[in-house]
Amino acid sequence: MIRLENVSKRYGNGHYGVIDVNLEIHRGEFLFLVGPSGAGKSSLIRMLYREEVPTAGEIFLDEFRLSQLRRNQVSRLRRQLGVVFQDVKLLTNRTVFQNVAFAMEVVGAKSHEIQKRVPQVLDLVGLSRKRNNFPHQLSGGEQQRVGIARALVNNPVYVIADEPTGNLDPDTAFEIIKLLNEINRRGATIIMATHARDIVNQMHKRVVAVENGRIVRDEARGAYGYES
Amino acid sequence: MAMSLNSVWYITKETGRNLVYNTWMTLASVSTVAISMFVLSFFLVLTVNMNHLTTVLQNQVEMRVFINTNVPRSKEMALLNEADKWPGVRKIQFFTKQQAAESLKREFPDQRDLLTLIAKSNPLFDGFNVYTKNPAEIPALAVRFQHQKVVHNVVYEGQVVRRLSRLSIIMKWVGWVVELLLGLATLFIIINTIRLAVFARRREVAVMKLVGATDWFIRWPFILEGLVLGLVGAGIADVVVAQGYHWLVAAAAGALPFWPMAPYSQVMGKTVDFTLGGGLLVGGLASMVALRRFLRV
Repeated sequence: MIRLENVSKRYGNGHYGVIDVNLEIHRGEFLFLVGPSGAGKSSLIRMLYREEVPTAGEIFLDEFRLSQLRRNQVSRLRRQLGVVFQDVKLLTNRTVFQNVAFAMEVVGAKSHEIQKRVPQVLDLVGLSRKRNNFPHQLSGGEQQRVGIARALVNNPVYVIADEPTGNLDPDTAFEIIKLLNEINRRGATIIMATHARDIVNQMHKRVVAVENGRIVRDEARGAYGYES
Repeated sequence: MAMSLNSVWYITKETGRNLVYNTWMTLASVSTVAISMFVLSFFLVLTVNMNHLTTVLQNQVEMRVFINTNVPRSKEMALLNEADKWPGVRKIQFFTKQQAAESLKREFPDQRDLLTLIAKSNPLFDGFNVYTKNPAEIPALAVRFQHQKVVHNVVYEGQVVRRLSRLSIIMKWVGWVVELLLGLATLFIIINTIRLAVFARRREVAVMKLVGATDWFIRWPFILEGLVLGLVGAGIADVVVAQGYHWLVAAAAGALPFWPMAPYSQVMGKTVDFTLGGGLLVGGLASMVALRRFLRV
């Protein structure tokens, strides 16, 4: 379970990213984080994988207290998480297979585990045939699937996605969401920040809306709820 | 730190990749380490030799009187007994040319040619070691010995020893100062090399952090890179010095056969210790500084 207690994030320039947020996310949930640009979605997301630390309040993630984590414990936290970005962050000089395998290599996985696990994940995201392609040979949607495969390969409990469909056309975006939904059905908790109103409205998942750094709405089977 | 074989292999691979990727910086770093270590070795060779020379000379007595060849032992003994009573002589010892050959062997262990020559037909002289009551009397005493018919020649070198040991202390300090400056230059070049390696691999580093690689797992390839640069540079310097000193000993045996060169094994032992130690130190230090400054993990 993830629990945010009175979390605030104030940046060096005095601007608040997040103000006094309380939120509980249970294992197995699929949660959309919506809101206008600059509302604080990214600040929240970045605090979840401890790229940023709250200036007040506390975030609990299973047994971790995020603001108390020492540097050498951050890696243990991150192994519980799979993080997906709008800009994917693939390594351009490595193939699809190598990009996904890299995530296992660097946490010390054994070679035979890598050889077994990576094809499974590539199969799940539908990229088995492109395992030897390089990122520049893939479409935007395919690149994001590699990003998701990389996030999944170490069996994370939580998948945190920051606008994963932001650069994709609506059809491709929908494919990505279906993939995330499938991953959710297999047991992973999904937390996804997004602008994609059609998707949010169609999925009928929990929706948390953020405005000016505060949570303004939290609905179990919600809709996007903004004009534009 | 417990680490699987796979991780060790990964880290080794990454280190190699860094070194090859930054070919020019790798070459620049290795050559500066090599040059710096070569200069260090140069001073080492010099000080070791001066120390050797000083000890050899110190072991020699204040004055040595050599007797002509073919002088019968009885005449030698007569002079010995007479000189023992001269004022100024504190102690006087007789040595045969066989004993002279033995001590020569100890002082010039690397000069095989010389040693075989001595073994075949000993060209050395019998003589006396003379110890004075007061070093100031040495020159006068030398003249008195020189006037004896059976005496071939007289040598004394008390002053030289004193000057040499002072010079070798100065050399040591000059060496350390020069080495400190070169070491700093080397340090900055390696820091820069590793900074470039970190920069070239910033995307990998970002992904590694994201998926939960430990700080040390991320750091190791860069630390190893620094150590390898230091070690390889030092190794190159060692090879050059080993060849060079080998040649120098041989050349000295030809040109200055009585110059006591420090033994090869002693010089190289010191050189290898200091250069490899220095290379690892400067490489490791550079990695640490570079990672603190450029790799925020």
